[in-house]
Amino acid sequence: MSVEKEMILQFAPWESFVSPTFWHKLAEIKLDLDRLSDSKRSITGHYTNRNASACLLEVDYTAYNRTAQPPKFSHSAIGTIYNKNTIEEFKALDKLHLLADEGKELLADMCSGGVLRDPSLLTRFFVISFADLKCHSYYYWFAFPCPLTPTLKLRGAVQKLRNLPNSDSYIEALKSLPAESQNFFILYANKEQEVVEARNLSSLDENDVEHYYFGFADPSEYEHPAWLMRNYAAFLLQQCPSFVGKTLKFLGLRYNQQMQVDDSRIWQVIQTEACDLSQAGEVKFVGWELNKNGKMGPRMVCMRDSMDPAKLAENSVNLNLKLMKWRLVPDLNLEVISQTKCLLFGAGTLGCAVARNLLSWGFKNITLLDNGKVGFSNPVRQNLYTHADAVAGNRMKATTAAQRLREINPSAETAGHVLEIPMPGHTIGESLLAQTREHLHVIEQQVQDHDVIFLLTDSRESRWLPTLLGAANQKIVINAALGFDSYLVMRHGTTREEAGDVGQEIEGLKCINGDQLGCYFCNDVTAPGNSLKDRTLDQQCTVTRPGVSNIAASYAVELLVALLQHPRRELAPAYYAQSGRGKSEEAAGKVPEGLLGILPHSIRGMLCNFENILPATQKFAQCIACSAAVLNAYKKEGHAFLLKTFETAKYLEDLTGISEFKRLNSEIIDFDDDEFDMSEEDED
Amino acid sequence: MGDLSWKDFMSQAKQFLKISQQLGDSWMLEEKDSNEPNTFLKFNQKMKCQSEEGYSEGLVNVEYHVVYSVSYQVPMLFFQAHRSDGSLLDLEATWKLFMPETKARGLYQILTQMDHPVLFRPFMALHPCRTAEVLKQFGQPSDNQVLTFISLYGPHVQLHLKNAYGLVQEYT
Repeated sequence: MSVEKEMILQFAPWESFVSPTFWHKLAEIKLDLDRLSDSKRSITGHYTNRNASACLLEVDYTAYNRTAQPPKFSHSAIGTIYNKNTIEEFKALDKLHLLADEGKELLADMCSGGVLRDPSLLTRFFVISFADLKCHSYYYWFAFPCPLTPTLKLRGAVQKLRNLPNSDSYIEALKSLPAESQNFFILYANKEQEVVEARNLSSLDENDVEHYYFGFADPSEYEHPAWLMRNYAAFLLQQCPSFVGKTLKFLGLRYNQQMQVDDSRIWQVIQTEACDLSQAGEVKFVGWELNKNGKMGPRMVCMRDSMDPAKLAENSVNLNLKLMKWRLVPDLNLEVISQTKCLLFGAGTLGCAVARNLLSWGFKNITLLDNGKVGFSNPVRQNLYTHADAVAGNRMKATTAAQRLREINPSAETAGHVLEIPMPGHTIGESLLAQTREHLHVIEQQVQDHDVIFLLTDSRESRWLPTLLGAANQKIVINAALGFDSYLVMRHGTTREEAGDVGQEIEGLKCINGDQLGCYFCNDVTAPGNSLKDRTLDQQCTVTRPGVSNIAASYAVELLVALLQHPRRELAPAYYAQSGRGKSEEAAGKVPEGLLGILPHSIRGMLCNFENILPATQKFAQCIACSAAVLNAYKKEGHAFLLKTFETAKYLEDLTGISEFKRLNSEIIDFDDDEFDMSEEDED
Repeated sequence: MGDLSWKDFMSQAKQFLKISQQLGDSWMLEEKDSNEPNTFLKFNQKMKCQSEEGYSEGLVNVEYHVVYSVSYQVPMLFFQAHRSDGSLLDLEATWKLFMPETKARGLYQILTQMDHPVLFRPFMALHPCRTAEVLKQFGQPSDNQVLTFISLYGPHVQLHLKNAYGLVQEYT
């Protein structure tokens, strides 16, 4: 005998292949049926020998059905799932013992004749699992029990069916065998090869062994037969002890894509040692599947992406944004958007609309500050509130809005703080001093913790403190203010100092670098006083055309996004045409564009003529909110300085020298943008 | 030509299924109920998946659904790929699976994620916006637009029909 003939037959191990629907159904069963019970459940799997990949045993949601219905071209495998309640129980399972128990059941089926009636009992498997339904993680381990029997030695080379002398008649005979009987069968050919037929396994007659090919559907794509042949051989040798020492011919039936069986393999094997499987207690078993690292151990899969609704939403939102990147703006930086933290002063009409637009763009971190409750007039315009919020009578806007944002996008991190924004000229009484200090502290902390400050409040003076804090902390500040049918949206000039290119000079355009741009207060020569004083009701509670706030909110967010995508961000220059309308139109076409187009300083628009203009203005050295004098005083004196300004706005005018400035120069200051005289309130 | 009524889609899908069965292919018809558009064609195949670093991520199963789009009145191709542990491939991984290197840009023009009209879960899909137009150009040689659709759009996502589908003289 040559060495080659002494070769031991090896088998292709099963590889489990789990459909996501298997986990979906397991979760459903655990929640609705099993609950705390962890008793084992019968399941079924299936494998195909048509165009097989690897050597797969597949399970999907149909695994839990009462009767197995394998897909087309597939055969059933009989299984059990042991789904434990805790990870500890899962880990503590006695794997050796369990494998032996399952193996003994397999032997019982072999010895009782059960296999003869239903050969699919040979393809036995089981799964131990733990379903962490909160985290959507599944720990699992498949096993394919198989008794450890004496080795099978190969006699001669492995042959292909088409190379057998009489292959055509075999192939013809196979065609008569119904698909569901092809998992295990006998191919009989008498000595003269006159009679060739495919038979059910139950017709097994041990005297005919020379005339038999022991056929089985072989899911292996490899040279080796699938693992299940090992159980098949063990069964045959148990059933017919006379087979020991005889050459047995096995036919691994393999279909290709075209349903031809030419590549089916023939293995001639011999087992020389006898072995009695009816003494189950002495039989050892093998069959635990190796994990992905090729080690003995369980596997874990995180199914959050397809099972956690919050994750599904997050991925879908991101996908929409990514499509924009992939299809239209390849260089769009979505990362920077998802990481930028936004602080919204005001959770009214503007605040709600800005927050929703931020969510649409994929901003994740949104905090709202507001002191108001949801009132009856609010829900129709303030799109995060409902009538029920107003009826409840105690719902604060800041916290309600934060909660609604999370309801809309569960992966958003939102917070709301109910507090008053102290204002210049709004005197604080003794009784409120402690609370004001506390609120101040929160506001300062919030400004420091965020990257962008949105000014969306309903009065001019409430914008003063956030403007100052934004400038003092070098934050990006976006401001939106509404009139009846007009709006102003602007980015404040930055106080961030960073060397870099200055804006490119272009003929007909004036260029102001980002650190030279003005803030909301730079164009004003009065300190913010109590603007709610001496006003009629409709001025206090600004009446606006409803579209105005949505338009302004959209511009505010788009302005921020354009800024974040600009290579120089808040330092990016703004351009504006210097003279003459005709010329300015021509010049406007030359404004350098960033990733998303131009980045203006401000957008002033009117609904009465549906027009926008894009002025850019310079920082004002005596500004009562962002000038060096104010910033220094704040840095030096902190709250003491702030409290002085709350006492009287005049203090700011004196500090910055505006008082002087006003007295001397009031006659030569010429504001020619009367047609865009902005009222600074939005609706409360 | 180009647009397809639900009735036509159903009869052509059934005809396609019949051809598939004759050719020993494993397409199936999944029928939730008889309402529009709750019946679709389904097909599974295994593919070897290469990870970014080039080593094999193992086998993935890709499930394809040909579903009727009510709003576009054309067949739509939905699909989902999962690994051996049941985890789904995200859009990027799917992209890599289908579009090694160069032709990738083109696929992004039509590859998207949509809610499956029958299963109501997010699925990968090829966008149907140009399907009617494309089908119109192929209106003459084939009377089964479902078959034409699969043979035109399938190859984008490694779904190849056997040539034999084109040879069957069954079309009514």
